Amino acid sequence: MKRFVIGVAAVGLLATACGRSAGGPAEEAKDVDVNKAAGEVTVWAMGAEGEALGAFAKEFEAANPGVTVKVTPLGWDVAHDKITAAIAGNATPDVSMLGSTWMGEMAKTGALEPTPGNLIDESVFFPGAWGTGEVAGTAYGVPWYVETRAFYYRTDLAEKAGVKPPATWEETTAFVKALKDKAGADLGVEQNFKQGSWQEVVPLVWQAGGDISAAGKWTFDTPEMVTALTHYASFFEDGLAATDQPTGAFPQTFVKGKVGAFYSGPWMIAGMEKEGGADFAGKFSVAPYPKGSAGGTSVIGGSNMVVFKSAKNREAAWKFLQWLTDPKVQASWFGKVAALPSVQAAWQEPALTADQRVGVFGDQLKDARSAPAVPTWEQVAKVMETEIEKLALGKQSAADTAKAMQAQAETIGTGA
Amino acid sequence: MTRRMWTYAGLAAGLVLVAFPFGWTLLASFKPESEIRRDPPTFLPDQWTFANYAGLFERTQMDQAFFNSTVVALAAVAGNLLFCSMVGYAFAKLPFRGRNVLFGLVLVQLMVPAIVVMIPQFVLIASFGLVNTFLGIILPTIVTPLGIFLMRQFIADIPDELVHAARVDGAREFRIFFQIVLPLCKPALATLGLITFFTSWNGFIWPAVVAQSEDMYTLPVALAIFSNAQATQYGLLIAGAVVVVLPILVIFLFLQRYFVQGTTFTGLK
Repeated sequence: MKRFVIGVAAVGLLATACGRSAGGPAEEAKDVDVNKAAGEVTVWAMGAEGEALGAFAKEFEAANPGVTVKVTPLGWDVAHDKITAAIAGNATPDVSMLGSTWMGEMAKTGALEPTPGNLIDESVFFPGAWGTGEVAGTAYGVPWYVETRAFYYRTDLAEKAGVKPPATWEETTAFVKALKDKAGADLGVEQNFKQGSWQEVVPLVWQAGGDISAAGKWTFDTPEMVTALTHYASFFEDGLAATDQPTGAFPQTFVKGKVGAFYSGPWMIAGMEKEGGADFAGKFSVAPYPKGSAGGTSVIGGSNMVVFKSAKNREAAWKFLQWLTDPKVQASWFGKVAALPSVQAAWQEPALTADQRVGVFGDQLKDARSAPAVPTWEQVAKVMETEIEKLALGKQSAADTAKAMQAQAETIGTGA
Repeated sequence: MTRRMWTYAGLAAGLVLVAFPFGWTLLASFKPESEIRRDPPTFLPDQWTFANYAGLFERTQMDQAFFNSTVVALAAVAGNLLFCSMVGYAFAKLPFRGRNVLFGLVLVQLMVPAIVVMIPQFVLIASFGLVNTFLGIILPTIVTPLGIFLMRQFIADIPDELVHAARVDGAREFRIFFQIVLPLCKPALATLGLITFFTSWNGFIWPAVVAQSEDMYTLPVALAIFSNAQATQYGLLIAGAVVVVLPILVIFLFLQRYFVQGTTFTGLK
């Protein structure tokens, strides 16, 4: 915790130090002449993507003689610090992968190059995905792959309890109750209330017709927020979701049938099959987010690819990004690391239509929004998580939680 | 006699408590991924496998990372042994103006967490053009406030008369330092060497920030690639942890005598 606070302080200092250039009118994007593309492109990418991208990029090299791509894989743990340091020291690569929620903060440093309109067509992407890279009216980089959340449930337990996957909030409560009472899922639904728990709550706010920010201000203390928090907390209060499980007990609890349902992203399809073994694959399925009074909007995440202003090889860098967002390439990348395409047309490819559960995410992506692309988002998300934990543990009412979030978020501001 | 047995029983219980996680980690590195995550957990592997180690050495440039870690750690040890003892000698035995103020400033640095100075330090290293070089990784660790403090405390306990006698015999400061003081510092040097080696060997954030291509990665940095937001590969990570920890265990086995000695000495005042 101490290290984290200090880290935030350091990043805050950095943001103020580099913030001078920002705040003016929207930046102009400069066209790129890809015919001049040649030489080496240096790329940073995180985690499994970073490990696989080097070999994958060979296809791009084969199609573009004279261009080489050098990928450096980074661990997620260090990526944020490493990229901020590289920006501060003006020692960036040409291209880097960025978590979509970092876009606001990184764009504010003035180190990212606006997306050239002559090369990248906004309309081919999911609007929610494109929104992650749009900061103060200027688009930076491209959405590379996307994630969104949907509702996972045990098909065998649902059948045993005689219930169908829920389409509305009310049905969700009834559904989980049936799984628990009739099919023996004694822990009900898994709701995260620790790190990353903002992803559980923010979709509910949208589904209730509210929003967490409007016109450059945080709007946590609203009736819609309270509705969302009340719905979220009701599962804990009614004993349909547990707070006393040891860290890491989930996902094994789902495999064992103690937990009947949970909300998560597409990686869990493969994750669960790995976790539960081959015969488990047929025992669970995915449904779109159950709808609240204002719809079933989910949250979109994923990663973007950006080009730095200090890139030594601008033309080849953008050409590489153009290639990465080609529908065919996106579909084949899905085959490699199961990262969902940010380009809509890629979803017609056979690789993505094969599994019905993957298709559910494709449909959900059409109704998904991004977290606010502001420099302070990561800090505000931490505030949400702290307050959500108090709510889940029954130490604070929904109304007080909304108030507490608002008060702290206001002090942090939106970095505008 | 019985009292002694009780002492040993207590110590044995403590040993089991401390050694259990290491034992579990070591055994887990021989389990398949699914068994590591199984609930309830197993202690002895149901199914022995070397797949994690095989995967580890084929997937990343682990031998390169091992080499890099060794170079970085040895350079840090050499730098600290030489420079910290020199500075410590000056603080302990050479009277000069502002000595206490300067020593105070060194102590203040002990209290500043490394993460706070990371970005300014990186900007500095970048402006020297040392990003992605061994020198860039090593330079900030070559002399440490903790090392200076340790050496100064130790050298202060060496009788002044020895130093004076050498001076009367006409020895210069360098000769006094290398021939009289340094040989007496062996326990402290062993301690400092160990501490520096551990810190450098385990160092994560600084090498991760400075090394910008995979061939410059140290072991912990290379291992961090396996830790993903969604799907951490525990098998590879645990096998990697065992590989990282082995050299430290071996070194400690050989040098533990000095390590214990050194800490007792510095505790005396």
